Amino acid sequence: MKLISRVLLPALLALGLSPVSAQTSGGIANVATIGEPPTMDPMVSTADLVGIVTQHFFETLFTFDKNWKVTPLLAESMPEITEGGKVYTIKLRRDVTFHDGSPMTADDVVASLKRWMELASRGKQTAGNIDKVEAVDPGTVRITLKAPYAPLLALLAFNNSAAVIMPAKKMENPLKEPVGTGPYMLKDRKADQYIQLVRYDGYKPRQGEPDGYGGARKPVLDEIRFVPVPDPNTRIEGAISGQFDYVDALPVESYDRLKGQQTTKPVVLKPFGWPVFVMNTKQGNMANVDARMAVRMALNMEDMLAAAFGSTEFYSLDAAMYPEGYVWHTMAGTEGRYNVADADKAKALLKKANYDGSPVRILTSRQYEFHYKMAQVAAEYLKQAGFKVDMQVVDWATLTQRRADPALWDIYITHSPFLPEPALIGQLSESSPGWWSTPARKQAVDAFNTESDPQKRVALWADVQKVMYDETPSIKIGDFNALAAQSPKLEGVVPAPWPYFWNVSIKK
Amino acid sequence: MGRYVLQRLLGMLVVMFVVVTIVFVIVRIAPGDPAAVMLGPDATPQDIAALRARLGLDRPLFVQYVFFLAQLIRGDLGESIFLNQPVLSALAERAEPTFFLTLFSILIAAVIAIPIGVLSAYKRGSLFDQTATTLAMLAASIPSFWLGLLLIQFFAVRFSLFPVSGYGGPGASFATRLSHLVLPAFALGVVSSALILRFTRASMLDVLSDDYVRTARSKGMGEFRVVMKHAFKNALIPVLTVIGLTAALLVSGAVVTETVFGLPGVGSLVVSAVLRRDYPIIQGALLIIAALYVLINFLIDMLYLAVDPRVRY
Repeated sequence: MKLISRVLLPALLALGLSPVSAQTSGGIANVATIGEPPTMDPMVSTADLVGIVTQHFFETLFTFDKNWKVTPLLAESMPEITEGGKVYTIKLRRDVTFHDGSPMTADDVVASLKRWMELASRGKQTAGNIDKVEAVDPGTVRITLKAPYAPLLALLAFNNSAAVIMPAKKMENPLKEPVGTGPYMLKDRKADQYIQLVRYDGYKPRQGEPDGYGGARKPVLDEIRFVPVPDPNTRIEGAISGQFDYVDALPVESYDRLKGQQTTKPVVLKPFGWPVFVMNTKQGNMANVDARMAVRMALNMEDMLAAAFGSTEFYSLDAAMYPEGYVWHTMAGTEGRYNVADADKAKALLKKANYDGSPVRILTSRQYEFHYKMAQVAAEYLKQAGFKVDMQVVDWATLTQRRADPALWDIYITHSPFLPEPALIGQLSESSPGWWSTPARKQAVDAFNTESDPQKRVALWADVQKVMYDETPSIKIGDFNALAAQSPKLEGVVPAPWPYFWNVSIKK
Repeated sequence: MGRYVLQRLLGMLVVMFVVVTIVFVIVRIAPGDPAAVMLGPDATPQDIAALRARLGLDRPLFVQYVFFLAQLIRGDLGESIFLNQPVLSALAERAEPTFFLTLFSILIAAVIAIPIGVLSAYKRGSLFDQTATTLAMLAASIPSFWLGLLLIQFFAVRFSLFPVSGYGGPGASFATRLSHLVLPAFALGVVSSALILRFTRASMLDVLSDDYVRTARSKGMGEFRVVMKHAFKNALIPVLTVIGLTAALLVSGAVVTETVFGLPGVGSLVVSAVLRRDYPIIQGALLIIAALYVLINFLIDMLYLAVDPRVRY
């Protein structure tokens, strides 16, 4: 033992070999997912499943470290920001090649960012702030903004609706042949059967240790196979039988069953995300701020979370938009406005809002059973407070279509993982269904988005959260955890909202 | 006779045209939008509108319909919105698991149902008959997904005899792929056997009371020969019809079983296409399934024509 600690370890470290590189190379990981991703082009979709799969073969200029700070990935280092936060000069890594063998150059990066600004919803959102994107030399790209825009780097780092870098010559739309720079390459895709990724031997990881999504990404496994298994019960059995090495998105009820198994073990990502009731601030009876506040006062978040997630092992009451542990955690604006369940207060607010008794149309889906369960509990509390409720239960595809029309709904239910940058939260955008657009929103969000000093931004985020509580364009219900399962043979898996399998090996 | 066949063929064309039109209209008047599904939860209405335009979904319904018909006449079922491949090739990929699943299910169902049905009719009213009819009722009442999960628990998880789900990974051999079909085929076969068993029993009961069976017995022929050679042969005709229709039903109706077992068959393709509003796939698959039904019915009619001269006149 002493020999190992005194002689071998220092020797290994001197050789630059981290514990990751000491993992046995090879093996195939079978990963069960909730279904077939709708596309292999991470620019055009904000679906989590698209991000989970494509992050293995497409990469962005930046990504997030384990503390959710932006860190370079294809960029050599963090950008040089000049002219009061308006010019970002990004040095590129010069050892990066695409899966077709061609080197990544500034021209590829410029073309990719332009494609992102044209096609990706987050790219379009950013494009309004960008004056130009240009190649300074083959190894340097410059982005010039019209005005300082602090969320830029987080947007460039995010893995869905992602600013991934593709070869300038292979970026047709729709994308026919995904060619990226990632540690794995797409070898074969049989829809509804499997997506087969194989190690890219030309991949050169960054120096240093793995750090969240950043740092060294090492393709240790030979292959990763993403297998769509839409039935949650089959996913559970697939984990227990050992057919799958990692199984994503399991029902929380399966936790106890997974605990005692030899073939698999539960993986809890705590906290994963937050369910949210989005209000239609544009039209209908939720256009009135008092009526929205009445909803807030009427709801009992504890009962809703208990109905949706069963055990406190999987949820927690939390008024803050970001839970403790995140730099963005603040209680600003929340006092006396969360988990109140006071029907009298709600009734008084309804009277003030001149509520005419027309039904509140709650748009929800059983595609996510916890949305539906929360809606059922919420409906009862709203009725106690004097609301008439019209539950509209539709499939997810219908919900995403109907929510785009302000005439069709008053509240819709969705959820989100905790996004590394608050500016990415959909409800903050005026164009997002809900259409929250008030002077107070504009002032708070603009101040937050244009400030580049990280410390000042934290304080400004508290102002945004306070306005969100004052005007209630949406109601956060609480925090919830996600459950997955992994084989004990799989080593190096880090629980993450978008699980990744570089730096992961299989014990033989 | 030629005129009769021609009439039936014309009838088939009319049925197919009506099916095509109904499918096209229903798919489009159903709420939901493939563009919204593809772009994900945070897509803006502007993005969705742009994608709809690119997919041609913003054109008037009638224009889309004419375009769809023109494509059909050229034998082109269009291209899937999500899979980046022609509908025909997507369906062809799914044909193998569905074909073998149907085949094995029917074989299992027939092997269970026919002998028990024959024996049950022969021993009408006995304990065997009563047990068989009760079990048949039980099998008909079991939801196939529940039976499927039960089979997974025992044979895949506890005894590790078969895989839980899927249809084999890249490069999986034919034998491996078939091993993925054993449990789902058994689940479907048991459920389908109930109907075939009841038909076999009823048909045998009819035949066993016919004059020629009595004649055969009065000639001193052995019971086994009477039942198998005279009665069973004649009782088989309606049973074959039921087996044929069950097979057609399984091609399109094994949706739940395919989903539970994660089989990439035609049924699960249709379900995922409906959830994603992949219009070309829904249209193409339903069209093929309808054509299959029409064809099977046509073949049954032709068989009747061959065996029953009254139909000709």
